[in-house]
Amino acid sequence: MHIMEGFLPWYWCVFWYALAIPFIAHGVVRMKKITAENPEMKPLLAVCGAFIFIMSSLHVPSVTGSSSHPTGNGLGAVFFGATVISAICVPILIFQALLMAHGGITTLGANVFSMGVVGPFCAVFVWKFGRKMGLGYSAAIFLAAFVGDWMTYVAAATELGLAFPIPTFESAWIKMMLIYSYTQIPISIAESFLTVIIFEYIQKLRPDLLRRLNVLKTEEPKKPSIKMPEAN
Amino acid sequence: MFENFLDSYAHSNAIRNVNTYFKVLFGIITLIVSLVSTSPVIPLIIFMSVSLIIVFKAEIPVKFYLKFLTVPLTFALITFIFMALFFGMGQNIFNLGLFNLSISADGFNLGFLVFSRIMGGFACMAFLGLTTPMTELFKVMENLKFPKILLEISMLMYRYIFVSMDEAVTMYHSQETRLGYSSIKKSYKSMGILIANIFIKTWITGEKSYVAMESRGYDGSFRTMNDLGNIRSVGSKNLSYLLLFEVILTYGVYLTSTYKIF
Repeated sequence: MHIMEGFLPWYWCVFWYALAIPFIAHGVVRMKKITAENPEMKPLLAVCGAFIFIMSSLHVPSVTGSSSHPTGNGLGAVFFGATVISAICVPILIFQALLMAHGGITTLGANVFSMGVVGPFCAVFVWKFGRKMGLGYSAAIFLAAFVGDWMTYVAAATELGLAFPIPTFESAWIKMMLIYSYTQIPISIAESFLTVIIFEYIQKLRPDLLRRLNVLKTEEPKKPSIKMPEAN
Repeated sequence: MFENFLDSYAHSNAIRNVNTYFKVLFGIITLIVSLVSTSPVIPLIIFMSVSLIIVFKAEIPVKFYLKFLTVPLTFALITFIFMALFFGMGQNIFNLGLFNLSISADGFNLGFLVFSRIMGGFACMAFLGLTTPMTELFKVMENLKFPKILLEISMLMYRYIFVSMDEAVTMYHSQETRLGYSSIKKSYKSMGILIANIFIKTWITGEKSYVAMESRGYDGSFRTMNDLGNIRSVGSKNLSYLLLFEVILTYGVYLTSTYKIF
């Protein structure tokens, strides 16, 4: 869903920047709070970012000036909260723009808004709602990852439709959603399965970190945390 | 890997030691001029001139630059074709005679404008990415008072991306030797295991290196050896050249603002 450099007219670039900046600022403040309380969260935070980077590098060309790829933003959003992902998306998208010519500097605001604001917020909402409805952790994270990925694309289609409302916004939007859904539905289902696998792994390896992030319930009977295997 | 290549060029090109602020200013201002243009002329001029600087001044091999160019070029071409076919309302200038498709004048103009803007903007971005190492860009951001915690996480992330690429290549090879990709079903399974394990492995390696850094007095700031200089050390001569270049481009944007091909 990365919109290419130079694709949006300049007023839309400014508009999306202005819309994304409050979320980024809030995310930075939250990030500061989390890492000040638990400095050992820093590697997990950075790995979640690297995960988003790798997932969103596996792209295929899709609608004009944009592409289809997994986003990986559901997992991080559930762990750290939605706005932290908004903040962390900024360096990720800069890396992708400069290293892989994927996305852009002027369209950064728009891309952060779709991948870092709309997607994660919907993912967190679904996760909380699912947990309240009594779904298990794995089912809830599956739905959260799916919705996080899918809503990112709805937001991207909206951005493109607003920038080029030809002939009208609705018809442009429907056109883009049709093309996106061909590539995106299978991708987001695959991504959700992956997210579940990773989540269960982390749950097994370091339940203490997840408990501290309030992802797992604290009153759950404490399993003896498994010692981390050697990485060579 | 592809990123490794790009990173090594960023560290070893011919204008590597030029003041970082100068390069960043050049890249960003030219990017903005290319973006605000309403005719395809100036973005295309920017694309040509910045590409010439990349190839002849920074001495990036032409072959590598062209390879790097293919990704945005395909995107830009797809965009151009799509817009020319579907985004027009005006009179038709060319009928394809297939599925009742035709190219309209305003669709063509819009498509060509967006095509040139993508190429112009891409060249400026490639200039930044190919001539300036990421660590220096982060140093510039730190001096511009970007939030420290964000930069710190970005630096860690930048490292972890390469760590996980290494892990991925190793694991992929070992899976392949064990026939992990011999059928489609198996490849799906192997791919899932691979990506889940990359996450864990990168995390473990990252945590270890974090502990190692912390025990050596890491306080949240990465220090690099080379002096970036500051905005004043760019020199008034260079700055005035830059200013002249941008003013000429801006004047060109103003002059060609109503220019259209059809």
